[in-house]
Amino acid sequence: MLRFVLRRLLIIIPMALLVITLTWALIRLAPGNFYTGDKKLPAAVEATIRAKYGLDKEWYEQYGMMMANIVRGDFGDSLKYPGQTVNEIIARHLPYSATLGILAYLLALLIGLTAGTTAALKQNSSFDYGSMSVAMLGLSVPSFVLGPILVILFSFGLHLFPPARWGGPLSLVLPVLTLSAIYAAYIARLTRAGMLEVMRSDYIRTARAKGLDEKTILLRHALKGGIIPVVSFTGPALAALLAGTVVVEKIYALPGLGDIFIKAVLNRDEPLILGIVAFLSILIMIFNLIVDIAYGYLDPRIRYE
Amino acid sequence: MPIIRFGIVSLLLCCLVAGCRTSADNRYFGHTEPPPTNVLRYISGPEPETLDPQLPDGQPEARIFMALYEGLVEYGPKDLQPIPALAKSWEISPNVDQFIFHLRNDARWSDNTPITARDFVYSFRRGFAPETISRTAGLGFFVKYSEEFKSGRVFAKKNGEFLLASDEVKESDAFGADTEFHSFIRGADRLTLSGDEKKRGEALAKNPKLAARVEGAEFVPITGADIGVEAIDEYTLRISLKQSAPFFLGLLAHQFFRLVPEHVVEKHGKNWTRAQNIVTNGPFRIREYRPYDALIVEKDPNYWDSANVHLDAIEFYPVEEITTILNLYKAGSIDAMLNHSVPSSWIGEIRGFKDEYMNLPENSTSYYSMNMTKPPFDDVRVRRAFNIGLDHQALSDFRKTTKPLYDMTPAGIFPEYDAARARLSEKVRTDRGVVPEEWSKYNKFDPEKARALLGEAGFPVEKTATGFACPKFPTDRVSITYNTNENNRAVGEFVQSQWKQHLGITVSLKTMEFKAYLPYFKSLEYEGFALFLWSGDYMDPYTFLSLHYGEDNEGASGFYDAKYDAMLDEANAELDVTKRYEKMADAEHYLTERVPVVALTINASNWLKKPYVKGLYPNPGTLLPWKFVYLERDRARWDTDVENIMTAKDERVEKQLADLKATQSP
Repeated sequence: MLRFVLRRLLIIIPMALLVITLTWALIRLAPGNFYTGDKKLPAAVEATIRAKYGLDKEWYEQYGMMMANIVRGDFGDSLKYPGQTVNEIIARHLPYSATLGILAYLLALLIGLTAGTTAALKQNSSFDYGSMSVAMLGLSVPSFVLGPILVILFSFGLHLFPPARWGGPLSLVLPVLTLSAIYAAYIARLTRAGMLEVMRSDYIRTARAKGLDEKTILLRHALKGGIIPVVSFTGPALAALLAGTVVVEKIYALPGLGDIFIKAVLNRDEPLILGIVAFLSILIMIFNLIVDIAYGYLDPRIRYE
Repeated sequence: MPIIRFGIVSLLLCCLVAGCRTSADNRYFGHTEPPPTNVLRYISGPEPETLDPQLPDGQPEARIFMALYEGLVEYGPKDLQPIPALAKSWEISPNVDQFIFHLRNDARWSDNTPITARDFVYSFRRGFAPETISRTAGLGFFVKYSEEFKSGRVFAKKNGEFLLASDEVKESDAFGADTEFHSFIRGADRLTLSGDEKKRGEALAKNPKLAARVEGAEFVPITGADIGVEAIDEYTLRISLKQSAPFFLGLLAHQFFRLVPEHVVEKHGKNWTRAQNIVTNGPFRIREYRPYDALIVEKDPNYWDSANVHLDAIEFYPVEEITTILNLYKAGSIDAMLNHSVPSSWIGEIRGFKDEYMNLPENSTSYYSMNMTKPPFDDVRVRRAFNIGLDHQALSDFRKTTKPLYDMTPAGIFPEYDAARARLSEKVRTDRGVVPEEWSKYNKFDPEKARALLGEAGFPVEKTATGFACPKFPTDRVSITYNTNENNRAVGEFVQSQWKQHLGITVSLKTMEFKAYLPYFKSLEYEGFALFLWSGDYMDPYTFLSLHYGEDNEGASGFYDAKYDAMLDEANAELDVTKRYEKMADAEHYLTERVPVVALTINASNWLKKPYVKGLYPNPGTLLPWKFVYLERDRARWDTDVENIMTAKDERVEKQLADLKATQSP
């Protein structure tokens, strides 16, 4: 087990460097650069910018410099926001995204697991059809539609919550609802499918034959196996949520990482893009590792060798 | 699934009810109540790149800098004409190439350090220094030797004497105190060469005569001390330009020329703008900065005119999504927003809120540049055909907020220049012997003439059962290129349909991501048409006419004409305003006759402010001098019918403005 974890942790380093290299190459292949804007720069100004950021050097020298800094954990300063380091930008905005993401995911788990399990236990009942239809709706209505509808209903209709901006718990309600809808729907469907499969499996039949009551069967035996699909979904989903969710952040004008990431790409802000990509890829790999470890506890058939 | 159907129906009903209630029984758009505190909440658009006024070139930053920093002059709230700021008065030399500013002696930084002429000398030198990554420094290159300093060029010194650019003897033009620096900066222009040894060698190899002159010379790098800015004494500053620039005074309100604090910049380096270090000199200073969330500035008691700053604080919220901005406005969470913030789909409704909707012409235009370097657009007849084959008025009506553009310079922004253009137009008409009715159509929508022009150029337009066709026109090689954006697409589709209808030519649309578009457009890779949006840098027609000035110009249509350049130079050397405008109108006419662009629209400000926010005007650049702004709690005094806000008199603002202007005798 320990060897498995160590090996996986060690793989993260070369993987992250590979991701950074590929991203760097993609940025360099994309036309345009960070300093071009509406107005033409005088040649003198452009030359000073190129010299300052080493853009006048050979590509391999630039790559070497970039990698040397990153290996030391220093992503440098943002090009778009001079005077701000990439590390500080990520550290400053991660808490916003993380708060939003974790709350949304907890809500999604609560709704999704309850609805999914209940639907599976009462298969083909009206609750099953009803909740699964709502889940289908949740999956198909994108957040840029759901968000504005919630704003119209709860901000302008009922005057309950502010329509946008970060500030106090009330301001989080609508973004969390918007963000959790799609995850709740997905989790509900995963749980239902997982539970249905498990409930028909031999070991549940054995448990029933032994005369265990339904509650124990469900909570002690079935749920563990039934939510494995949800667990594998949780790794990447949580990583994506932590790193920010562009659409919801835009609709509600929240200072999360997602919007910053997209803008960094549009601005060709290379250090910031690389920093966020590296952070995100490491996050995803760690969450996947945690998920893999969790499998071992949930499913006794899985062994780590 | 009746439950779901019921759900959807009731949801839609709720939305409908919620939507109707606010618009039907209210004179104002959404919640309209002044905030309890004396604080303005303003949507400032994108997150500011930095709080260093000399670096970025964006308008959103410019507005924030107007709260935090001040320079020699400030933009007037309505017309953007320069009004006294740190300079209480000034003198301009007869040739409009030297300026003397008399500074106030009571101005202080937010840390209570006095502001003197040396602060200006430092700020200018820093802005033009090669190591300062300023995107706006180019605006100041009129200052003598500033461009050479930025480019790291060198003087050549031989036998203890600096070599001169030409043998021409320059008459001395005394202006203000006679100093050693002044005789240098006003003396004959020195020869300057590239500071890069390799480049200098190449230049000299091409010019043997020059090489012979500099043979054995010593090269002296140009430094900040060589640029045309001089502190004559503690409170007198003199600026010397390399040429006459009648618009230069107006340019000095630009963020690039606002002061930066030497004592803080030198101490903290690139970290000087951090909240804990920053020192400012404007009407407001930083209270709290939460990037991407809010920048809160408060009235600075150290500001020299703080008695006339009405707001206690301003909260700038960086929000870009325009529907979100409108939601916040409707909910009453903000009091005003930046320009271009009402989505076109909402304009129909918003227009009805006459006390709030600020939509007046801006100092900004949009064109399609035509690539004149690639056929068939090397033929002026083809270019003209496309320009008059478009119904500019219809395009403008379709865009809802804009006005039609027919020339290079927007009409309605520079009244005196408009008059000069009208006089010139009349003269051209009589010279050509055209009747007025005919002339009023010149250069405007005229599909018949457009088709005839195409025919003359070798692309005959045929009448077909459904309209027109122009089979010979190489449509495969021509497209309308623009950067990806909903508005740009709408304009593209409209123009496309117009040309199809009137000329029988279907031009394809090509969209590109902004950063990819810029080099494609500016290096003339495109074929046919490319969208070009331009906001004037200062309040003078030259900011539009200079787009096609010089060989490597900004216009990106491949236009270069030495005669046009000479006409503009002559106009700028003209000191009489009326004559100068006439010469510029002449140059503009010369340019439009060569049709380098398809003129599209004069843009409009298109934003909202609550009626209780006073002293905030939809001026041509949406550049807002915040010290004039106040919140009016008496409903009877709220703004009404803001379409006339520029002519409506606000005693408080007028008086404040008159008091400020009083120190500068006309």
